[in-house]
Amino acid sequence: MRVAGNAGGLFHLRDGAVIAVDSAGSPGVEVLLLGSVRVSAEDWNAALVESVETGSLQAALIARGHLGPDEIQAVALAAMQDGAFAVAAGDVERCVVEDDTEEPLLPSAEGVAPEVLLADTADRLDAIASLPVPLSPYRDRVVAARGAEPSSAERREIIAHATGRRSARDVAFAIGRSLHSVTVEVSRMLDEGLLEIAPPATAFSFSHWGLPSLRPRTETGQTSGKELHWTTTPWPPNCGSFEKTSPE
Amino acid sequence: MDYDALAAELRKLRENVAGVTDTVLAASDGIPILTDVAKNVEPAHISALAAADLGIARQAAEVIGLGKLNQTVVFGSNGYMAVYAVSRTALMVVLGDNGLNLGRLLHESRPAIERIGSIMAPTAPSTE
Repeated sequence: MRVAGNAGGLFHLRDGAVIAVDSAGSPGVEVLLLGSVRVSAEDWNAALVESVETGSLQAALIARGHLGPDEIQAVALAAMQDGAFAVAAGDVERCVVEDDTEEPLLPSAEGVAPEVLLADTADRLDAIASLPVPLSPYRDRVVAARGAEPSSAERREIIAHATGRRSARDVAFAIGRSLHSVTVEVSRMLDEGLLEIAPPATAFSFSHWGLPSLRPRTETGQTSGKELHWTTTPWPPNCGSFEKTSPE
Repeated sequence: MDYDALAAELRKLRENVAGVTDTVLAASDGIPILTDVAKNVEPAHISALAAADLGIARQAAEVIGLGKLNQTVVFGSNGYMAVYAVSRTALMVVLGDNGLNLGRLLHESRPAIERIGSIMAPTAPSTE
């Protein structure tokens, strides 16, 4: 079932059970496994190539000896739950049932009954709503507060990626951890004053180079031959002065 | 040129499509017009690369007979660079992380490009 929206997502079902959820809002199994440093990018790529013939990425990963089936299934389940949360936390425009979709990369072997996944997702949404600082994982972009001294490696990592342009979702992808856990942590860090919601001027940094129009500068008489000069900007353009323009 | 209206379009695109990290509008010869990029992204380089990329993709679409070019996308293990022609004289670059949904991006980009094209049009009359 495809859910159109932002972030939207794709629910893979088999025999009435959900076996995987892919969403642009939450890191999938690939990002989670590579982020956990248990699997190297080389091993992942090699396993992907191998799985094209054998049809099972899980078997290819196990054969490389770094992960057991239980660990892989745990990541597959976590990615599914996080994907369902990511879809529900965003805007949903419509849902379409598709008969013929691609097989998920790493499906959950047993799957989860839709009502169980639904209840679990509702719990996660409630947990986000009752946080000290309610936070939209997509809309709110966060920036490190001045003099913030994070206590753990995990928090240092979040601080390092909180550029003011990134939302909790963007940070989750950058550090390879689940959307839900990063959203909860970011909210706590906002509450403790380690992070701040970025103002629009930080979240969106528009700059323009004073290009007056796209009209060729034929009237200035500076063109030579058949060349068309589309701009009066000095080259390279970033050496000249440029103005900031409001994001609104 | 109405930079505020153009900025509003770029902002909407980044807000409406999860995974979009940076956007650039540039003239089709690779000169940046309006940019919304992270500190580590150099707009002049991206614009020049995108202009070359779009030129090659257009040529390929024409030579192979693929019809009108919709978008050209560079796939990397950590993300994407999508380039769109706005008009004959301008282009739009969208950078995304590895979670970007390309289908969603194309769906949202089409109307945005139409609007961006018409915002740019009044100051760019045809000279041919």
